[in-house]
Formats: sequence, structure tokens, C-alpha cells
Amino acid sequence: MTISSPPANRPDLLDPLEVSRLGGIEVTTAGLVEGFLSGLHRSRRRGFSVEFAEHRMYQAGDELRYVDWKLLGRTDRLYVKQFEEETNLRAMLVLDVSRSMGWTGAPDRLLPKHEYARRLAAALALVLLRQRDATGLLAFDEDVRATLPPKVSTAHWHRLLRMLTGLEAGRGTAADRALQRVVEQLRRRGLVVFISDLLLDRELVLRALKFLRHRGHQVLVLHVMDPGEVTLEGSAEARFEDPETAAAVILRPNDWAEVYRRTVEGVVSDWRLALRREGIRYHRLTTDLPFGLALREALVRPPGLA
Amino acid sequence: MIGFLHPLFLWALPLATLPLVLHLVARRQPPTVLFPAVRYLQQATQEHQRRLKLEHWLLLAVRTLLVLAVILSAAGPTVARKGLPGHAPTAVVVVLDNSASSAAVAGGTSRLALLRGAARDVLAKATPDDALWLLTADGTARRGAAARLLGLVDSLSASPARLDLGGALTVAQGVLEGESRPSEIVLLSDLQASALGQAELRIPVVVVRPEGNPPSNAGIASLDPGPQPWSPDGGSVRVTLSGELGRSVPVSVSLGDRPPRQGLGTVGETLTLPLASVAAGWQPVTIRLDPDEFRLDDEYRGMVRVAPVAGVTWDATDRYLDAAAATLRQNRRLVDGREVTLGGLGAGASVVQPPAEASALGALNRALERRGVLWRYSDPVGLLQVSDSGPLVGREEVRRRYRLEYTGGAPRGILATVAGQPWIARAGDIVLLGSRLEPEWTALPLSAGFVPLVDALVNRLARGEQASISASPGAPVLLPDLATEVRLDDRRWTVEGGAPFRPPGVGTYFLLAGADTLGAIAVNVDPRESDLTPATDAAIHGLWPDARIVGPDGARAAAFAAGARGDLRGPLLWAALLFGLIEIALASGRHRKSA
Repeated sequence: MTISSPPANRPDLLDPLEVSRLGGIEVTTAGLVEGFLSGLHRSRRRGFSVEFAEHRMYQAGDELRYVDWKLLGRTDRLYVKQFEEETNLRAMLVLDVSRSMGWTGAPDRLLPKHEYARRLAAALALVLLRQRDATGLLAFDEDVRATLPPKVSTAHWHRLLRMLTGLEAGRGTAADRALQRVVEQLRRRGLVVFISDLLLDRELVLRALKFLRHRGHQVLVLHVMDPGEVTLEGSAEARFEDPETAAAVILRPNDWAEVYRRTVEGVVSDWRLALRREGIRYHRLTTDLPFGLALREALVRPPGLA
Repeated sequence: MIGFLHPLFLWALPLATLPLVLHLVARRQPPTVLFPAVRYLQQATQEHQRRLKLEHWLLLAVRTLLVLAVILSAAGPTVARKGLPGHAPTAVVVVLDNSASSAAVAGGTSRLALLRGAARDVLAKATPDDALWLLTADGTARRGAAARLLGLVDSLSASPARLDLGGALTVAQGVLEGESRPSEIVLLSDLQASALGQAELRIPVVVVRPEGNPPSNAGIASLDPGPQPWSPDGGSVRVTLSGELGRSVPVSVSLGDRPPRQGLGTVGETLTLPLASVAAGWQPVTIRLDPDEFRLDDEYRGMVRVAPVAGVTWDATDRYLDAAAATLRQNRRLVDGREVTLGGLGAGASVVQPPAEASALGALNRALERRGVLWRYSDPVGLLQVSDSGPLVGREEVRRRYRLEYTGGAPRGILATVAGQPWIARAGDIVLLGSRLEPEWTALPLSAGFVPLVDALVNRLARGEQASISASPGAPVLLPDLATEVRLDDRRWTVEGGAPFRPPGVGTYFLLAGADTLGAIAVNVDPRESDLTPATDAAIHGLWPDARIVGPDGARAAAFAAGARGDLRGPLLWAALLFGLIEIALASGRHRKSA
């Protein structure tokens, strides 16, 4: 399979072709989200904006209630406050950058999972920001590595890209702490996109995701897998070692290919069922899928799903 | 209790660990591959690991058992049939050695009587379901029911023939080869050391030997009447004795119907006795010793041809022939006369050597053809070669010769060869020499055997007679080319010249070519039968490692041991086959999973 994404060492994260393909995507959320402005997303607080965005010079016709009187006292000039009045969704991208995400089964052909996930996050952020949704980022491995609060300004996407570019695969995985931090970041109900290979403590993560749902957030889980993790191949006996936990198994891949395939299917199915039960959307992506296509498949809400 | 027919194979038992050793050798730390989804692998293998490990150890166990079963079956395990009376149906060959030495008497009983008693005990134990054979010194294995074989045993007497025990065991094993019943050979023999022979035994053997020492014995090993024919003046015989070394016994030698000459012979030495002249013709020579505990070798028969010496003419200028003929004349082995021409082709009997000049060869060949001789002188051969050792000529250098060519089909009458090609040949009363009897042609004239050779040529060969042949009963004798009949008293055998003949017993056999007598075969007990020294148990086990040796009293108990013990080879081989099939099934199952 050919990959339309640029090589991992390219400074720009998004393939222009992929970006152009993203134009038709609209992120929709099914539940209620809080926002200032009406839009595609329903909001309980119509007409109000609570998040300060920037100042600008007063112009004739501006409402006096938005004049920053404190600033007038300090500078003797009239400025009005501008709020993120067009934000109708607050989204948080939660990105797993643990060591397991740094793996690829075919280094000469496929991106490592975290490279793939970074591109995916960037593309998703672009889509969200284009429709004036405040978008933030939280990267984690065994701890929270980086946080960017949700904003909607035009410069925000570039800040987000710089942050993504600076992320490298870390060590262990502790997603529950990251998700708790998300709760702190998203005080009102919004969208949480959890991008991970899900090689983590399933019960803890499920509990944290359920808590997010309990707080009223929409949650989308993007399960990133390398094709080499889906299909076990090879005739020679090998010692397979987990880069994070150093746990190891010795086996001949071909002897176990079929059993392994069924096991992976079972794991995916378990995740899907467990998440669906909580009203969480789940989508599995493999890194041999062009990430634009993957994003389209992941964000178009399937009929019948919340 | 488990016993083994071939316990030496048990040394191969450590080979059963081979699968385990190969497994351990093949075990190695495989290369490490980083793989994040190890938790899926753990989950996948958790349920199946136990089954796979079981399969793996099962395969190892099956392979080990397979090797073990093959080795054990090679060792021939047997197990006692506990609680069951008698024995299972068994195939048994009873080899009863009634060779000449079995006639020896010790303690007032002949060895053969002891062996017959033991054979009766063995056969009495047989059941109708057993397959039985009796093999004796005549080399024939006779099958029959126990009653019939008992009758044969009772009527059996000592045979003058010799029995090679290794050969007899091999024959017995061949008889039992196709038998599905447990097989066994019971060998009853006085076990002369000289009778032992190699045999590759795959069947259990019980050896029954008489107890006690054999009697002291002296026998006649050979009789050498010297060059023949004897002249009417008489001759002398050389008698060699065999048996207990150093023992001296009186020897009596008689020629024809003349009174015997007496002498004192010693075992290991040669006694020469002169005998007075008798009438011309074939005269019997009989040697007798005083009777001892082994009678069959106390009398020895031979034949001596008595005839007037040949009247010979020869070319006196032929230096070497002249010297030989003069010596023979001086010793009264020939006289001047025209009966035989020595050195060239004469009117009558002739000993012909090739001409010195090659140009005369054609005339000689034409003259031979006119005489009806089918041999011709052909191409000259100038290579230095050596004659093939034979009864007439030993190994002598041959520098020049003419090839002798036979024009009548298959060559007949070859007396000596060089490199396998005819060198001396006879046709009727004409003897052709391939080389001239000169040192430039052959070293024969300078050798010690030259004068006896000339004697034989003129007195015997040119007259169409063969020397006396010594043989043993049952041993093959190669007949002269011209022989058409063998005669012993009133018994006659029509034979083909050049074929082997096995004289059935002792006596003097005459060889005839039509109405002419070619020679005689003196058949006596094989001189090795006189040495009654028994083989040691170590020597027996050295040749037949698994043989069980018992005395005559233990024969009954030891016989049918193959049927008294269950043979586990069959079940083990079936088990090996089963293990092999399981191994194939397991291995192919794993292979399919791998594929």
C-alpha cells in the first residue's frame, strides 16, 4: 500500500493533498455541547461568550459594555474585549505518545504509530478550527507531556502544530491521569478525541472515559494499530519483547498467526462493545490507511450511533 | 525375567537419548524482536501453550520410545511364559554331529552314543505343533515328526565325513529363515576345535557337548607313495601320523597281497617304509595302526600304480633334457627305448617342446594336426611371467613361450598355466610344452622340481595316466578332463570330465575314460578328525557369542527355550511402527499449523 503522507522527517506535518481532501469534513456531535455561538452544534448558552480572546481598538458603534475600562484607566485608550464568540464546540485532542506508539512493523514502508497519530491530530485540529471550534491538545505517556488549552484563534493551529512537532515517543503509558487532566481543561461539556494504540490499562482507561461521558463530554476513541500488530507473520522463532514493560514471549509466528488474529479481533471487539455501552464512539485505524481517509471514516458518524 | 538373544545390542541403548540430546542441542535463544502488542501474544498463547507443550513433550517421548523399541527389538528380548506348561510351538533344527570323530570312545561309551541320547531327550520334549529338522554330517536337513526323527537318530552311526560346524549352523539357520514360530538350533557335537567355523547367527543356539576329556588318539594323516608309477623293482611310502603329539605307535603297511611291513611311527613325524616289487597294475596300499579308542582313523587306503619304466628316446644335444633323462636312467626311472619321445614329436607318445627356430613351428603344427592333436602353437610371448602354481608345476619364471591354442572348442587337457593361459597341455599321448626346457625360456630346468617333472611327463602323463588323488568323504574332487566314469567296487557313477565329484565314503575309487583307467581316488577319513582336542567355551563364544552351552544331561531342559520364552521382538517392532505413525501424525500436524 502506498502512503500519501510525507516522510516522518519532513518539517511540515500535513500533506497538502490530504489537507485539500479534508475540506468536506464537518465534525458533528450528537449531544449537547456548550458554546457561545450558535452553529452546527447545539448550545445551552446562546448569545454569551465567557472566554476572552483579544483586544482591539474601539470603533464607532461598538457596544459600550465590551469596553475594557481598566485598560482605559491604565493606557487612556479605548479598547474593546473580543470573545471567542464563534466557538460553538470545545474539543480536546488527547494523544498517546508512549513508547509503544513509536513502533512500526515496516520502517521502510509505514510510519510509526505516533507519527501517524500526530498527523491525524493535526488534521483533526485543522478541521475543527476551520469550523471555529476551540481545539486543545494534551499529549501523554506515563505522565502528561504537553498541554495546549482549547482556543479558536488563527494562531492557535500553528501553536498546536509546533507542539505536535516537538513530541517524541516517550516511555510507559498512564492514560487515566491524562484523561483526569482533560476534565480539568474542559470545564464545560465538549468533545474529547482520544488517539492511542490502547496498549494500556484497559480498566483504568475505561473508568476515566466513562467519567468523561458522565461529565457530559462527547468522546471519540481512535484506536491506532500498525498492520504488523494485526497480523502475525514470520517462520523463524523469535523472542517478542514489549518495549514498555519488557515482558517477552518466545514463539514461532506462523504457529500462532491464526490464534493471534482471533485474539486481536476479540480485543478490538471488546473495546468497541465496552465503549459503545458508554455511548463512546470507537474507530480502529491502521497506519497503512491514508490518514485523511482514516479521518473521514472516523468522523462521519455512522447511522444509529450516538 | 527378561532375557536377550543378542545382548550386545543393548550397548546401543544410550542412543535412545538421541532425540533429547538433539532437542537440547537445537535449543538456543532466539533473536529478540521489539513488539508492543506482546500482551495480545500472551493472551493468545495463554490458552494454547499448555497443549503445545504437551504436544512437544509427547513428540519427544514418542521419538525416544521409537529408538528404544528398535534397539530393544534388535537385542531380541524374551520373557518367560509364566504359569504355562510346556512351550509354545517352536521350529527347531537338531544338528547331530555324527562326523568321524564322534566314533571316539571315552569311558566305555562312544561320543555319538552320548549325543544320540541327548538328541532323543530333545526330540522327546517336542509337541505335535513343533516343526523339527535333523541335520547330520551328510549335510542334509531332514524334516519330520518327532517319532520319525527319533528313528533316524537311533539308526545313526558315525559317518566318515567331516562336519564343519559353522557351515552346519548356517544351513540350519537357512532352514529356519521363513519360520514364523520361535526358532532354535540345538547343536549336539563333540565340538572338535578344528571343526569350529564362523557363522552369523540370528537364531538362538543351544550347544550340547559331551562332558569329560576325549581319549588319547593317533591316526594316519597321509600316505605319500612318491613318484608313480612304481617300477617293478618296488618303491617306498611315506606315512604321516596325526593325533596326540609325540605318541609312538606301530605302523603296518601292506602292498597288494604281499605280507605287510612293520615300522614304528611317531605323531608329528614321517615314517618311510620301502616296499618290495609287485606285479604291474594298480596295487592297493593299506596302512594300519593298532586299534585305539578312535578306530576310524586307524586304517588308511591308497593306490600305487606299478608299471615298467618308460623306454625313452631324446636328443642328447639338448643339454638340460639330456641331464634330466640321464639322472632318471641312472635311478632306473626310465630306460632307453622308443615308447616315449622326449623333447620332440615322435611316432608314439611324445613330450613336445617348441622348436628353437620359429621357422620350424609351422611344420610342427601341421604334424600335430596330422596326429589329430587339437592343440597348436600360436603367437610367441616375450614377457617375463610366472607360472601358476599347480599340482604339476609350482611358481617358476617363464621368459619366453608360445601361446597354446585349442582348436576344438572348450580347451581340454590343460596341465599347467602361465597368467591363466595354457602352458603345458596334453592331448592323448602327446604332451605339449609352451616353452623350451632351457634357462633362456624358463627357470624350470634349473629348479629342484625339474627331474621329477620330466619323470612325471614321460612315465605318467605321456602315457595318459593321472596321479593318485587323495580325498575325504563328502569333499569335492575335481575330476580329470577325460574322465567319464568313477567306479568303487560294483558301484559306478557316470561323470563329466572337469566337474567336481563327492565320494560318499572311504575306499578306492577308479577314474575311467571309456575302457582306460585314468587314475584313482583314495578316500580316507579327513586327517583333522584325528585331532580330538575339544574347543574351549571361550573359543565357542568367540565365534557364536550368544550360544548357550550345556552338557548332555541339560539338553532336555535347555531345548525349546525359544518357545518357553515369549519373543518380544514382534510386539516391539509393532510398537516401533506405531510410534513411527504417531510421530508422523504429530510432526505433520505441527507442520500444517506452521504452514
